[in-house]
Amino acid sequence: MKRRDFIKTGLSGLAAIAVGGVGLPQLFRSESFALDRTVKLSMEGALVEMVDRSKVFHWLFSSAATGPSFPGPVLFATAGDLVTVNVANHLNEPHAFQIIGTNVLTAPIYPGKSATVSFTAPAAGSYLYTDPLNAPANRVLGLHGAFIVSPAAGNTPYSYPTPTVQRLFNDLGASKQFPKFALSPAGWDPSRFRIWLQHQIDPLFNAQAQADFLAGRASTVSAAKMRTSFLPRYFTINGKSGVFSAHDPGIALSGRIGQPMLVRILNSGLFTHSNHIHANHVYVIAVNGAVQDNLFFVDTFTIDPLDRVDWLVPFLRPPDIAGNRYTPLRNLIPNELGLTIDGPNGSPGVQQSPLGYPMHCHLETSQTAAGGNYPQGTLTHFDFLGDVDGIDFPNAM
Amino acid sequence: MAIKIVPRGDVPPNQINDYFKFSCPPEFNGPNPDPLPPTFSFSRKLLVGIDLLLPDGSKVPMWVIEDPDAPDAPHPLPKDILRRSFPSPTLRIPLDALVNADVDCNGNTHTIHWHGIEPTPMNDGVGHLSFEVTGHFTYQYQPRQAGTFFYHCHKNTVLHFEMGLYGLLLIDPPDPSAPAVPVTYPTGGPGFAAGMNPNALLPTDHVIHYDVEALWVADDIDSRWHTLQHNAFMQKCVPDDPDNPANFSQDGILNDFRPDIFVMTGIARRVSDPSAFTAAENPLFGPLVAPTVKAGQTLLVRTLVAAYAVAQFTLDIDVEVIAMDGHALGVPPLQQYSRPLLVRAGTPIRLTTARRWDLIVRPTSPRVVPVKVEFFNNINGRLLYTATTSITVTK
Repeated sequence: MKRRDFIKTGLSGLAAIAVGGVGLPQLFRSESFALDRTVKLSMEGALVEMVDRSKVFHWLFSSAATGPSFPGPVLFATAGDLVTVNVANHLNEPHAFQIIGTNVLTAPIYPGKSATVSFTAPAAGSYLYTDPLNAPANRVLGLHGAFIVSPAAGNTPYSYPTPTVQRLFNDLGASKQFPKFALSPAGWDPSRFRIWLQHQIDPLFNAQAQADFLAGRASTVSAAKMRTSFLPRYFTINGKSGVFSAHDPGIALSGRIGQPMLVRILNSGLFTHSNHIHANHVYVIAVNGAVQDNLFFVDTFTIDPLDRVDWLVPFLRPPDIAGNRYTPLRNLIPNELGLTIDGPNGSPGVQQSPLGYPMHCHLETSQTAAGGNYPQGTLTHFDFLGDVDGIDFPNAM
Repeated sequence: MAIKIVPRGDVPPNQINDYFKFSCPPEFNGPNPDPLPPTFSFSRKLLVGIDLLLPDGSKVPMWVIEDPDAPDAPHPLPKDILRRSFPSPTLRIPLDALVNADVDCNGNTHTIHWHGIEPTPMNDGVGHLSFEVTGHFTYQYQPRQAGTFFYHCHKNTVLHFEMGLYGLLLIDPPDPSAPAVPVTYPTGGPGFAAGMNPNALLPTDHVIHYDVEALWVADDIDSRWHTLQHNAFMQKCVPDDPDNPANFSQDGILNDFRPDIFVMTGIARRVSDPSAFTAAENPLFGPLVAPTVKAGQTLLVRTLVAAYAVAQFTLDIDVEVIAMDGHALGVPPLQQYSRPLLVRAGTPIRLTTARRWDLIVRPTSPRVVPVKVEFFNNINGRLLYTATTSITVTK
């Protein structure tokens, strides 16, 4: 893997590798990179620091350019591209490589061996790559990552949008219900997307894998025991928790009113999440590879283990702000936008502008780290930087 | 060979304050910064401790949000029950009202988040993105969708929500024959709910008349948690190094929820008690859990999952899902990309924490319609409890 093939992109917030395709430059128009149709990954042992700095052993996918990464590097491709993945097993027991939602699957790869799989990138959407062996243990111990496929054409995220998804995307910025941000063109900008790969960690299982790894023996982690007694102590989005995922520019939603954003949610763990977003309801546009035709418009949605769910966040002006809904917010809520609320203990206080909201899992045990420390779990922020007419709120970056 | 480390990263020096407010939100006591004249006002007070009574006579301590202005309840209800109940007293607000919610906090700081209502951050009740209320604050918003919402304290939420600091928040649409008149409907029905009307001529025609209203709030309780303190297992506030590992609590149990009591809208059962939930056992909540409706009438069932278990509702009758999360399916402009959903008798409706589906049931002949609500562990999928109740259809 050459350096130029690695994208450390602010857009995904994750280590990422582009594996080809005409649709990719528009995702990364601020980045310069070249394409290589072959991805070389290895499986390694590494310690991942949790939000409280405790170090938890994981098995991770690694590439020469990214190093071991938690989760594994995002692989980006365009539908129809020929892609080759080579996976080397640097661990002590057999592993394999699978892309869930496709027929990509290697035979078991024995310690010290590697396997190569070539395939045509499937219909546009989000997929989870993982080690399917000893399920769910190998996946949950860290061997997973997102595989994102862009469409070769069209103005939606899909190769085969349903009529309703096509109509929704045609209406963005071009209808009364979706006023356009003054300074950007109508429609969805394909570079406005996020990946939220949600995961959970029960360090007891990782400690067992670590002991085996250090002893140079094959893992003794029991998948059956994990299925019955997994009790997560850390909860992550793209490998980060709480305040770190909230402030990660590749995870947090950010934009102006009238700039819709796509969120590709994946759950690589064992914990059913109930993701709740403040400030806007969102359209559920794809579930597990099925582009939806009845688009639920919700503030909370279930994300089961292995689920892949796409949200279109419309970036509407928060609709229930009191007062005339056509008055610019700088005139309607000037005092809130100008306010700094003093912090405790002599800290300098919190500016109320730009307008910040949370997205968090409402199955609130996921809002913890190390058994408490609310809200250092599955959470990020949703920031409105400016009004629909092109004028930013105070302090917008 | 040393094992590689994937580092957490440090707090960026220029963002220390942003990180600090996470573990230690600012506090505020005062008027709304941008007040407008209200058309609908009410008060809420946090927190009040009450006991949840179980059929065996034992009690579980709960925290609830008080409605200090509610009247005494009529005999034979407990006098205080309209002010202090679990779930916290239901709020009903007319669609499009300009709401002023006067919130008082005694003793400790709290917030109220109006879940599904989408106002400015200071009116949204999330401490680390605005403030926690030390004494008094007037939240202000204007709900522009009629439907099923709820309100809850958003501080140490994992604990405070479990302890009972939540209640239903229902936004009522006007009667389509008098669309300019703001109204609220009596809990239990009759009334109108937002819902797609294929024959609508005006936006205000997108309502469905119901005769009887049921409220199915599924909850679960881990009684171990109900002895904890308000700020249990929270991170220490240290302004200059907010995410120093030394400030993290390490002995908490708030990731470990082991429910031993299951609740339908304030009526509780121990896990060992499979007895059906009936209308007669609780004069306030019973008829909302086990409703009675005449054949040919329309029943509206509002569901809310307040449990940390996955809740699965199964009715032995066809239902039409008319709304999700307070937004009516199929109603233009924003919900024109959806449509109401038919769920056949016996098909489970599986929902997770904070989701709300509004169901319309139109029974045609007298019978008792069995209903079960199954609670599943959200990690291993194990069935934890099955609550059974019924819809009684009379002539």
